[in-house]
Amino acid sequence: MAVDTRDIVKKREQRYSYGLTLLRDCIEETRDLPNEEDFFKKNVLRVEDITISFGGLNALSDVNLELREGELLAIIGPNGAGKTTLLNVISGFYKAQKGDVYFQDTKITNYSSHKIAEMGICRTFQNIALYTGLSVIDNIIAGRHPHIKYNFLNGMLYFPWARREEARQRAIAEDIVDFLEMEQVRNTTVGMLSYGLRKRAELGRALALEPRILLLDEPMAGMNLDEKEDIARFIVDIHEFLRIPIVMIEHDMGVVMDIADRIAVLDFGLKIGDGTPEEISKNQKVVSAYLGKAGEQ
Amino acid sequence: MEDLLKSIMLGLASGGIYALVAVSYVIIYKSTRIFAFSQAGMLVIGAYTFWQCLVVWSLPIWISILITLAIAAAIAIIIERVSMRPLIGQPILAPIVVTLGVMLFLRGIALLFWHGEVEGYGEAFLPLGVWHVGFLSLPKIQVYGFIICMLVIALLISFYKYTRTGLGMRVVHEDHLVAQNLGINVKRIFQYSWIFSCAVAVIGGMLLGNIQGVGLDLDANGLIAIAAVLFGGLESFGGAVIAGLAIGIIQIFAIQYLGALLPGEITMLVPFVFLLLILLIKPYGLFGLVRIERL
Amino acid sequence: MTINVDRPCGTFDSNYYQAMEIFRTPLRKFLMIAFIVLLYAIAFILDDYIISILIVFCAFSIGMTGLQIITGYAGQISLGHAAFMGVGMYTMAVFQEHLGFNFWFALPLAGLVPMIIGMLFGVPAVRIKGLYLAFASLAAHFVIVYAINNWRSVTNGTDGMYLHRPGVLLGIDFMIDKYYYILVLTVTVIMIYFAKNLSRTRLGRAFVAVRDNDIAAEVMGINIAHTKVLAFGIGCFYAGIAGAVGGGYYEYVNVEWFTLTDSIWYLGFLVVGGLGSIFGAIAGAVVWKSLDELSTLVTPITEALLGGMAFYASAAFSLVIYSLIVIVVLVLEPRGINHRWQIIKRSYRLHPFPY
Ligand SMILES: Nc1ncnc2c1ncn2[C@@H]1O[C@H](COP(=O)(O)OP(=O)(O)OP(=O)(O)O)[C@@H](O)[C@H]1O
Ligand SMILES: [Mg+2]
Repeated sequence: MAVDTRDIVKKREQRYSYGLTLLRDCIEETRDLPNEEDFFKKNVLRVEDITISFGGLNALSDVNLELREGELLAIIGPNGAGKTTLLNVISGFYKAQKGDVYFQDTKITNYSSHKIAEMGICRTFQNIALYTGLSVIDNIIAGRHPHIKYNFLNGMLYFPWARREEARQRAIAEDIVDFLEMEQVRNTTVGMLSYGLRKRAELGRALALEPRILLLDEPMAGMNLDEKEDIARFIVDIHEFLRIPIVMIEHDMGVVMDIADRIAVLDFGLKIGDGTPEEISKNQKVVSAYLGKAGEQ
Repeated sequence: MEDLLKSIMLGLASGGIYALVAVSYVIIYKSTRIFAFSQAGMLVIGAYTFWQCLVVWSLPIWISILITLAIAAAIAIIIERVSMRPLIGQPILAPIVVTLGVMLFLRGIALLFWHGEVEGYGEAFLPLGVWHVGFLSLPKIQVYGFIICMLVIALLISFYKYTRTGLGMRVVHEDHLVAQNLGINVKRIFQYSWIFSCAVAVIGGMLLGNIQGVGLDLDANGLIAIAAVLFGGLESFGGAVIAGLAIGIIQIFAIQYLGALLPGEITMLVPFVFLLLILLIKPYGLFGLVRIERL
Repeated sequence: MTINVDRPCGTFDSNYYQAMEIFRTPLRKFLMIAFIVLLYAIAFILDDYIISILIVFCAFSIGMTGLQIITGYAGQISLGHAAFMGVGMYTMAVFQEHLGFNFWFALPLAGLVPMIIGMLFGVPAVRIKGLYLAFASLAAHFVIVYAINNWRSVTNGTDGMYLHRPGVLLGIDFMIDKYYYILVLTVTVIMIYFAKNLSRTRLGRAFVAVRDNDIAAEVMGINIAHTKVLAFGIGCFYAGIAGAVGGGYYEYVNVEWFTLTDSIWYLGFLVVGGLGSIFGAIAGAVVWKSLDELSTLVTPITEALLGGMAFYASAAFSLVIYSLIVIVVLVLEPRGINHRWQIIKRSYRLHPFPY
């Protein structure tokens, strides 16, 4: 198993002369890997009995979810099922009324969002939430914020070490830009980019945070086939190359069935299914909930 | 007990006008989501225009009032058309700076025409003198002022309640898009709101001019009323009225009981410290809607 | 804030350090240095009247840069900036008069005291924004003015206070206006350089992130409470320094010098100059103070026209004209002078190919 992963990594490295190498080094540097064998068994995220309601509407009721290291988990469900709400609870933007979230056995339910992001739970948003006034590269460097190691006085005085640190961060960011194939637009203000490119820039900003877990909220929504393929390729590459677990909300069942290791299904705030793509496609409850009447026929 | 009652009466008298001015802010805020700092300037313009008609030109009181209201409406239309409409969709800073700019513009106009001298209506407007009710001595101008304030507010609220245009305006308060889809001319409603608001503000200005003297410093009352609007929750008429009266009373109490501890002029300080407290404790005021942000 | 892309066609970065430079081409760097040298050189040519105007330009450029940090970069609204400038002046005066500090030691304090007060008033900003913040800063203005007016034992109340320029240092006598101008110019250049550095480093990006999308910023690992309070702190530091060097020129300070009107012009002319760039801040300050100069120049004319009662005319002139300028710019060109300047620069950058 361990040899396998190394092999994949090697191959990727050969296939792309550029890529996420710098970022991977950052991540690997801080990752404790006592035992390569156990790597994929480790539980990185645990959501326990999350309940949250908005004025009588139960957005989530008693949802449980587990995420293992190196896993690509897709969350599916009809509109308004509570998928985005679940991600918001995990990243600390909504405070759940009941239940807890654990990240690598640390209870993070009451942590503030920026702390959670700093720990490595990074995400993209359903409705793009980039820093519209900044260029692509600056958005990505802004994503590096928690990992930049000098305080603002050093920045204002622009000491040599601050300058060096800036250059290092820029190198990492440029790496991400290269990986996402956005070299052409790196200095363009994101407000002026097309929808697909903005989604991509957002992915880049999430990557810049050195994710331990990447949460993607409908990364392919509203894209054409080409763009979808690109994003799917990026997701698979990130997943394999950085060896991080990814949670992805997606409506396109084709993509989900193709790339997900495991699928969780939400419906009206309830988790109604959890399993491999094959299991899910056979699960009657899921099929009828997800496809409505059509599924029953 | 006597003192307490006296203070409350005094507070209500000034509070009534704060309430009126607060309502003038709310009218615009509810329909356009813009906070019209310029209404502080309208107070000054209203007071001076009325003085010009009434005292300088010795016109009858009704005609003076009509002229003042007409001028207020004209200014309202110009402000709305020239400076506010192009700002629709701009970030929040733009309307704040523009309405503040209009406030200073109006102040400049008043300075240009009336040279910043403090004037008075004398006997020409509300009757002078004092009523004695038990141990209370009530200056007539303040009593009349309070009654006029409450009448104007009542008139306004019943306009919103019982007329067709008022109904349209209430729809606009709820949602611009829905209103547009219902065939309501939202821009027209914005214009009406400005006209009403400016009319209310100049009435406030006249009353203030009667009590405090017609001068450039009347706009300070407009700023104090901001505390009232905020306390009331920015978009509630009832809230604005209650908060306006409350600010008046708090101010008088503070002056009476804290005046000994705090040196100098604290009429401006009290409302703004109160405002800071509201912002810290309950930023959306008594009756305001908490706007949830979503990702 | 975005990386400066204004350079001739075909210029590319060969390394990351180059991409981070303020000036992307040697020519631009040279031009800027030449301009600064020129600013120093004219001190020895111009008469005291022009020097006095230049000192005011410098001081307000610092102050405006501070407001740019608060409003243009971090997106927070401050309607009390003039008051913080006043706090800087008074800090200088108080430390000199009561504690016997000299100019050099009082100067950093004149930045730090407003900074701390600014951070205090910035605390409400953690929970509120936009209009509510405008109210909070309005309140800050009145509280500060009240405190200065009434804390008589320290501030002399409405009588104002005297402060002192530095004495002779290294053989330079700062009591002579042109040398004091050189001092102020040096402070200005340094402060603006620092602001530029701030805008291209970690905290500067966090400011813009908070401005553009504060809830996303929080979820993306930026402590927005921290960032907002720091924005107010740094901005007020600038305001304080501006007040201190400006007040030093007059060697006197009075609470009447910073009214709410001034705070509003601060914000208004910041927009006229252009939000979100140091150039915009300087442009705004220069336009504002030039108009001030103009309005004192027209006073004799209006006096001739209107006779003895013209004392109000200059004040009315400034109120009407300034507000018209602010309103017209906001309505017609919300991106201010800076935007126009960028267009001019871009036409140079694209030369000789227009596309
Ligand atoms: N801040 C909020 N205030 C009120 N209701 C909310 C809030 N956030 C979410 N909801 C409600 O919770 C429910 C779940 O919303 P959520 O955005 O999680 O759905 P979703 O599964 O992401 O749907 P979609 O596929 O459309 O993105 C919806 O009915 C939504 O209206
Ligand atoms: Mg969603």
